[in-house]
Amino acid sequence: MYDYIVVGAGIIGSFIARELSKYNLKALVVEKENDVANVQTLANSAILHSGHNPKPNTLKSKLCLLGNKLYDEVESELSIPILRTGAYVLAHNNEEEKKLDDLVVTTKQNEVTEFEFLSFDEAVKYEPNLAKTVTKVLSLPTTSVTYPWEVAFACMENAILNGVEFRKNSEVTNITKTDDIFKITINNTDIAEAKHLINAAGVKADDIAEMIERNVEYKITPRIGEYFVLDKRVKGFINHVLYPLPTNLGKGVLLTPQVHGNILIGPNSKFVDDKDRANNTTDGLRYVKDNAVLLADNLPFNEIIRSFAGVRSTSNQEDFIIRESNEVSGFYHVAGIDSPGLTAAPAIANYLLNKIMMVHEKYDTKCNFNPKREKLQEFHTLPNDQQNELIKQDSSYANIICKCERITEKEVIDAINGPLGSSSIKGIKKRTRAGAGLCQGGYCEEKVYKLIARETKSSPLDIVYDSQKSNLFVSESKVKK
Amino acid sequence: MKKEIIVIGGGASGLAAAISAKKEGRDVLLIEKEDRLGGILNQCIHNGFGLQVFKEEYTGPEYADRYINEFYKNNIEYLLDATVTDVIKIKDGFEITFSSRKTGIKKVNTNAVIMSTGCYERTRGSIIIPGDRPYGVITAGSAQRYLNIDGYMVGKNVFILGSGDIGLIMARRMHLEGANVLGVAELMPYSNGLTRNIVQCLNDFDIPLFLSHTVTQVNANKNQRLESIIIQQVDEKYNPIEGTEKNFKVDTLLLSIGLIPDITLLDNLNVEKDYKTKSVKINQSYQTNVSGLFICGNSLQVHDLVDNVSLESERAGVCASQYVLSQTTKANKNVRVVAGKNLLFVTPHYVDFSSESSKIVFQFRSKMKIEKSMLKISQDNKLVKNKRINFVVPAEMESITLNIENFDSSNDIVLDLEVL
Repeated sequence: MYDYIVVGAGIIGSFIARELSKYNLKALVVEKENDVANVQTLANSAILHSGHNPKPNTLKSKLCLLGNKLYDEVESELSIPILRTGAYVLAHNNEEEKKLDDLVVTTKQNEVTEFEFLSFDEAVKYEPNLAKTVTKVLSLPTTSVTYPWEVAFACMENAILNGVEFRKNSEVTNITKTDDIFKITINNTDIAEAKHLINAAGVKADDIAEMIERNVEYKITPRIGEYFVLDKRVKGFINHVLYPLPTNLGKGVLLTPQVHGNILIGPNSKFVDDKDRANNTTDGLRYVKDNAVLLADNLPFNEIIRSFAGVRSTSNQEDFIIRESNEVSGFYHVAGIDSPGLTAAPAIANYLLNKIMMVHEKYDTKCNFNPKREKLQEFHTLPNDQQNELIKQDSSYANIICKCERITEKEVIDAINGPLGSSSIKGIKKRTRAGAGLCQGGYCEEKVYKLIARETKSSPLDIVYDSQKSNLFVSESKVKK
Repeated sequence: MKKEIIVIGGGASGLAAAISAKKEGRDVLLIEKEDRLGGILNQCIHNGFGLQVFKEEYTGPEYADRYINEFYKNNIEYLLDATVTDVIKIKDGFEITFSSRKTGIKKVNTNAVIMSTGCYERTRGSIIIPGDRPYGVITAGSAQRYLNIDGYMVGKNVFILGSGDIGLIMARRMHLEGANVLGVAELMPYSNGLTRNIVQCLNDFDIPLFLSHTVTQVNANKNQRLESIIIQQVDEKYNPIEGTEKNFKVDTLLLSIGLIPDITLLDNLNVEKDYKTKSVKINQSYQTNVSGLFICGNSLQVHDLVDNVSLESERAGVCASQYVLSQTTKANKNVRVVAGKNLLFVTPHYVDFSSESSKIVFQFRSKMKIEKSMLKISQDNKLVKNKRINFVVPAEMESITLNIENFDSSNDIVLDLEVL
């Protein structure tokens, strides 16, 4: 019997898991995917927003501001990367400058204290490629960029080391509640029992709620955002997150420098029907390009190495839905977490535990909770003498697997065997960046699948790309047979 | 430790360059990242190699073996499983950093560097196909490696995008392994592969080639595996034409959409780029604007035939050797080479009149298919040389060799391809 079961291991479920692991209680996280951070957390802009544009006096505005500040603590405790870029919101003419003034009213109401206006001439000193058509800039120095996959891994890994259980490939297929006990059916077969149930199921939060509530008060409609990724060679082309003026569709098409040097271009915003499908469209990608050129001149589109689409779990409510169910006590909704969900995530977990679930009143804190996640600095960024020290201890540090991102065999092995290890190609890419570079795995995929096969003692025929059934190979060749 | 020449890459290009430089008497070190020499030739188990160099037809591994044996015979120093991570210009040469299990991270200095790092395959990311991002959309070269070296099939029902040679070869290879190869789509109105490959790999096996077609949608199944694709005919501007959609149920889409020279090691050196070849500019000695930095093979320009890679790299090895001996301190006296009418690019990009190399091998590709053409090489509007060439296509690189004495040292050298 668990005290808490969390449905969903995206960034929200992962932060909740880590918060729960601070208490003397038994918790389980179930995730339908073959990995943590595999749907909404997989594909987004990676920005820690300052909180300048959510509607004032909402959970979105309050938790965004709080979350932004909490990330400093997350960074020091969990060794996650944060790139402190700051952001510029751009106006191109009188009309837009007026809107920029309106935005500052919101910014102030949201208690974002650090901001200033810059003229084009002032801004272009820091952003040499800023579009010449820009007339005025709102600078938001507290905006930064993180690496959402790693944040989710770090939280979940830390939660696991502090006692939380995690089951991947575990889809919740039925929920019942009798005598204050939730019975959760996993993959139509296994049953898990818990006193409390937390619904952090992202785009499927309403589907989960429908399993136990008669009248679900919200509906999630997936909203797709499409992006281009520029190779890390473009590092320094822009230095800040560049926003257009926000519209009712969201923050618009942005340019975002990433922690590893890449630049993201996007997203657009498009409601779709199918929750299981985030796909790119010709029109969508064209829209992204057409709008990106309003932000910077001479964008190096020739450095595009990938396009992708992400999904946001947008609800029909205006605000985040973080509350106990009106119908079923002990059932908690953490739903409709679209932007600024990543920023707010640590604050959402705090808010849920301390203001909604009152966990501290029910359970003691764990005296041996270890908040730290020790992480070696990325090997290729270390000075040569330190690298050679590590190589003396383990020569697999000297074997470069991914040429583009300079990822070593040791790092891949650690990603396979770590506390939150993965044995899929995509899982290794998310943990190490092997395959995330210029050749998109053309060179290293072969080396990675062989390492997975070796480390997990499996046949290459059983190695998967992502889900359990996405096998790399369909059969052996005639010669091999 | 200082070397005279370090060759980066031990494929067809690096082997030939290292052998020729060593034969010239140089102290050569070759660094190869894989556990064996021969590079991509090892996975090219089909035949058709060597007709020019050896007047015999070999498979890829056999062709590589000829060079590898020659390489061993010349007692050339080499490292396997060693990845070069940095090439830095220092006084009197370069500092090369490499990493391998045996040595750890090591630095070695050299007078000259020959880049023979080959090329990588263009990926789906560089052409933007709408739709899902499933597994099963993979480059033809990766599939070739998995099948021929590792012994695994990537799919049962296969479609191929792009009519590059690897795609054509893989169409036949997958067919022979029992896969159902449903077709090849090519965006251009002509094939991008060698004619002999169209005949021997597609026509002989009744695999349809859809010219002026491209893939406009890829769909995944619930398991994130490719389930189907849609191809469409394109107009002159390469935009898909509505109503021409064809649906194919396939679990694999092989991409054979081009190769890009791998020059990422040069990112930190100030090397002049050629945006047409997607590599760097050279003079007739295969030397870049960074003195002592030589480049050849597919890292210089993507070739159609490995024989040409070997011949080119052999010349580059000799030139690098000459450079080391003379340590040219005299100022370069460069004349530009211009890709004129109907030409996509020409190498070399410069002719250096202060160089020892008097032989100039011009290599070029046409922008379009021309049945009968006249290559005209001129300076200051005066014809220096012309040559009739029949049946020119972008997919086949042409070449002409001239002596530096044919040219004056003050005017651009212009190559034009006239339609007859």
